[in-house]
Amino acid sequence: MKRKRIITAVALTAFVMFTLQAQEVKVPLRFDFYYSYEKVVEALKALHEAYPDFTVLDQVGKSEEGRIIWALTINNPKTGAPLSKPGVYADGNIHGNEIQAGEVCLYLANRLLTNYGKVKEITEVVDRNAFYIIPVVNVDGRAHFFSDANTPSSNRGIRIPIDDDRDGLFDEDGPDDLDGDGNITQMRIRDTLGRFRTDPEDKRLMIQVKPGEKGEWTRLGQEGIDNDGDGQINEDPEGYVDGNRNWGVNWNPPYVQTGSGHYPFEGTGIRAIADWIMARQNIIMVFAFHNNGGMYLRGPSFKAAGELPQGDISVYNYIGKNIEKIVPGYRYLISWKDLYSTYGDFTDFTNTMLGSYSFVGELYQTETETFDGTPKRKEEESAVFSESSNDEDRQRLLFNDNVTQGELFIDWKPYKHPLYGDIEIGGWAKMSSRLPHPFMLQDLVHRNASAVIFAAQQTPAVKMDVFEVKKVDGDLWSIRVRLANKGAMPSVSFQTMKNKLYPSDVLSISGSNAKVVSGGKITDLYMNLVDYKEYRPGVQFCQVPGMGKVDYQFLVSGRGSVEIKYESRKAGTITQTVKLKPEP
Amino acid sequence: MKEEIRIKYVLKRSMKRMNATKSMILSIAAVIISWGQTFAIEKYTDPAGVNKRIEQIRQSAPGMVRVDKMAVSPGGREVLMMVIGKPGQAAVFVAANMSGTNPVATEAALSLAARIAGDEALSKQLTWYILPLGNPDAYSRYFSQPLYLDPANGAAYNEDNDDQTDEDGYNDLDGNGIITQMRVKAPDGIWIPVAGEPRLMRKADPAKGEKGIYKLYSEGTDDDGDGLYNEDLPGGTNVDANFPHLFRAFDRRSGLYPGSAPETTAILKFVFSHPEIAMVFSFGSTNYLLAPPQGGRKGSVDMDNIRIPEEIGKSMGIDVSRSYTMAEIMDYVQPMLPPGMTVDENMIASYLGLGAVVNPMQEDLAFYNEISSDFKEYLKKKGVTGERFDPAQPEEGSFEMWAYYHLGVPVFTMDLWGLPKPKEEKKENSTITVETLEKMSSDEFLALGEEKINEFLKARGAPAQYNAKMIIGMVRGGQVTPAQMAGMIRQMPAPKSDDKKGDPKEMARLAFSDQKLAGTGFIPWKTYKHPSLGEVEIGGFNPFIDTAPPPAMLDSLLDLQLPYLFELVKRLPRLMLTDLKVTEKGGSVYQVEAWVTNEGSIPFPTAMGKRNKAPAPAVLTLEGTGTEILSGKKRTPINEVGGKKAVRYIWLVRAPKKNALTLRLESKQAGSDVRQINIGG
Repeated sequence: MKRKRIITAVALTAFVMFTLQAQEVKVPLRFDFYYSYEKVVEALKALHEAYPDFTVLDQVGKSEEGRIIWALTINNPKTGAPLSKPGVYADGNIHGNEIQAGEVCLYLANRLLTNYGKVKEITEVVDRNAFYIIPVVNVDGRAHFFSDANTPSSNRGIRIPIDDDRDGLFDEDGPDDLDGDGNITQMRIRDTLGRFRTDPEDKRLMIQVKPGEKGEWTRLGQEGIDNDGDGQINEDPEGYVDGNRNWGVNWNPPYVQTGSGHYPFEGTGIRAIADWIMARQNIIMVFAFHNNGGMYLRGPSFKAAGELPQGDISVYNYIGKNIEKIVPGYRYLISWKDLYSTYGDFTDFTNTMLGSYSFVGELYQTETETFDGTPKRKEEESAVFSESSNDEDRQRLLFNDNVTQGELFIDWKPYKHPLYGDIEIGGWAKMSSRLPHPFMLQDLVHRNASAVIFAAQQTPAVKMDVFEVKKVDGDLWSIRVRLANKGAMPSVSFQTMKNKLYPSDVLSISGSNAKVVSGGKITDLYMNLVDYKEYRPGVQFCQVPGMGKVDYQFLVSGRGSVEIKYESRKAGTITQTVKLKPEP
Repeated sequence: MKEEIRIKYVLKRSMKRMNATKSMILSIAAVIISWGQTFAIEKYTDPAGVNKRIEQIRQSAPGMVRVDKMAVSPGGREVLMMVIGKPGQAAVFVAANMSGTNPVATEAALSLAARIAGDEALSKQLTWYILPLGNPDAYSRYFSQPLYLDPANGAAYNEDNDDQTDEDGYNDLDGNGIITQMRVKAPDGIWIPVAGEPRLMRKADPAKGEKGIYKLYSEGTDDDGDGLYNEDLPGGTNVDANFPHLFRAFDRRSGLYPGSAPETTAILKFVFSHPEIAMVFSFGSTNYLLAPPQGGRKGSVDMDNIRIPEEIGKSMGIDVSRSYTMAEIMDYVQPMLPPGMTVDENMIASYLGLGAVVNPMQEDLAFYNEISSDFKEYLKKKGVTGERFDPAQPEEGSFEMWAYYHLGVPVFTMDLWGLPKPKEEKKENSTITVETLEKMSSDEFLALGEEKINEFLKARGAPAQYNAKMIIGMVRGGQVTPAQMAGMIRQMPAPKSDDKKGDPKEMARLAFSDQKLAGTGFIPWKTYKHPSLGEVEIGGFNPFIDTAPPPAMLDSLLDLQLPYLFELVKRLPRLMLTDLKVTEKGGSVYQVEAWVTNEGSIPFPTAMGKRNKAPAPAVLTLEGTGTEILSGKKRTPINEVGGKKAVRYIWLVRAPKKNALTLRLESKQAGSDVRQINIGG
């Protein structure tokens, strides 16, 4: 009951604080505020209404709490149906609290649609690709992040209740917004035997006491009470199943990895998205946006998976290194090696099971929250286990005070706690730490959407050239076909070839009055070396390398004309008819 | 017409003959126990028939049996589940024929359901969820023509990764309704016929100067003209390979990801929404009662000997050159965590990337082995004497593997029938064994004569210098007794089996076919003019010879083995509150003491359940108005109570006034109990 009242209060505060400006959603969209779940839906509908020919708005599925997951497809119908083009997919906010990821997706859609026909490169990239955009994956998480009191990191998971403390009750002891300010911050109590004292440089921060120094504070953790009276505080909060550990690739159960769910695709929304993307086999590029840290990560996500094929690494390196320049300060990294091991990842799934080049974009670097404008690099020592304040926190407080007028940090205030008595509550606000202040949002969404657009420019662009139709003798013809690719990505990823995930591209030749005598890949054009295929020579399975070509030769016996057809899941279909003409 | 087709099937044909000759002997059961079955099984039930029988069982016990639709297979068949028993009770989940290749399994599950529906006592304290046919699409092949064995469900799958799907299946070239093998003489052949049994083939051993003659193919043509035979069969996923433990990605029949088959998803969803499932039972191709699950896989982490990866060690500031116990790491990490956060094993395992458990836990093998010897004793008592081939071990991604490793409940399996081991044909002159030799007197030994002794020595692979003459001399001279000789022979390496013989299992199949199926289990090689391979011979075993004993055997097989399940469930953990005690400590402070006793012999939870924390917890609640708990918890999770063991719980309570405390034990899997305690005043 009490919690409910608190939540209501919080909902109001949060609404007032961060969405007050966002009363009207109009195209072109604005990016100086954060869109609530409802506003995201409004924005998608507005884009669809403004560009009905270029967009399709799909209901992908429903979340655990029944919210709709929306997807916007951007496609120029005049240049072909979506499935006939390389697909570029971007989503965000699979972690409910990582909300700016949704804004990046909205911005991408807005940028592409509102600049089509105006900006040459955007026109080209839209004409040549189909874009699939799901701004909010964890729709419940986003909704609760806006409406409930939260830390910057809470409400990450999907809404499947888990009995974290194994007492037979589910989600019964989460944090409580004791001071009713819409934020879950920290509690501390005066304690001369405590491990912390006030930071002399900024009295809002605490530093660890050294041996011989007198303590001043003991930290009591996140704001909350012992809701279930079991002698523990906040030990069974909402969830937790992590939507980004619930995908059916290298999935492992929760005792191996916390938050993976009871089985792959337990999340109804996750399953719906899986079905939706698997029905779009043309997707060759995937971006999944998260916060934070300023990173673009590629797989594999755990060591035992082994390194990706070299051919794919080259593609990742090319795109990754360029993105590092498009988004200054961001680093291109390998998931397991540079971060940590995960199982059942979304991008591992798309890389492995959809055959798509896949990046996780970890948006935002708190290092950029500086008073003087120079990014502060994180100290070398690991911040994972550090409780002590450091230069970065001091800088961020200066930033808070002088650049955001105190919006990000909530000053310590006394509070009468039912268990601890006189304590203080304060700390970083919900809309801090992992999110840029709205004034920095425009830069973030533009640069990261540009990263997606850059990658979309690298999707396979295959052209077919029948460069030789030569009569050999009598009815026998030699036909040579070149498939050339201007994009950096091959028409089929190397991982796909390795796993035999799906048949690679097919190059076939047929004619009603023609018999294919032989056919194969030309291994050396000058030496006339052809690797002939013994069976079914008229059907060749191929991969067109990125920024490269592949040549085939067919020996055809017959008359009239033959049809040469190139079919690719990712790079579309090309058909050309060739006449077998008697020599003049 | 349909009946005619069915009659073509070898096994059915053979069954008729056998009924006539009355010569049938059970492989493992010689004794037929009568059971109050309403009907005897005359033939295997096809998938549509299975669902009809489920409905019949429901109607036979109105109000007692509920039928739930679990899924519709890709082939459009309904997967049904029977529910027998009241809600709120602990439950057993019985699943059968997940691979669709085990006809006995489905009959067993149906029979089990009929028995439970026919005896109210069996579901009075235990609810039964019974799924008789987990893979109906695959099972339908057993009733279709041509007959072949494939665990794939009806989903399409492009096995040869070309431009067509399901385009190159088997072809019944000889038109006998059964897919067997083709053997073709070829320069690169590696097979030769077994000496003395030309129906069987074995691999030639070039090291011994043998050259292969034949190549073997499954029966069919190269339908898609790609040079391969029968490489893209109709069908997709084996439900029994589609579960998320040791899932084999990109395997031909695994499915794209665990749970990709609707039949699998339905079970995953069902089981995790039924925490009362305390035991899983599977009828299929394994038999944990005869052959408990085996370990020996690489990859299980030894929790007492954990190495910390270098990258993680660096960030933790811990020495990575040595190994740690889980407890040591937990002690090390706890102070690093933010306040309010308690370290647990899973957190560490997850952080260090220790991976999944892949071998059965040692402590669990204790009850598996105990139950296995009990079951063998049970069979012995029922008069089962014949030897059979060992049951299979579970496949990766299978239902039973997943159930043990992910649910943390005891999992048992039965295959109900195994190919009988043919009795060694004893030649008249080889009556000596090491055992008989040991018991012989010198005179008895000498009486055997030179020929028999030489025969024996040769069979044991004795070196050439130990011939009968020399041995007889030694025994006569008293230098050695037969008993000493037996001892020496035991020291020698066991005689090598004759590698020129065929595969022992194939020999057994042939023996079974010849002796029990009037030879119909093996289709003799016959020449055939193959369109692309030229002259071939077609022949081989009936594909179901290992898994479908003649239906006439079913009643006795089931009557013999199914009742053991009702014994087995008596071993399930049942938690009770016992030995309650209140001690006055003065100042209206009381110590309340209670024992939680597990009356079952299986521990609660299993060792695997302790590790994966999947079983719903048992909780002790202490309630009472006007009392204050000074130490102990209002809700105490019961972590572990061994089989036939008890654990003590104490609370310190202040009760100024006379009061009644309620102590409540609640467990979804192991029962509930309530006790009142008077206190205070």
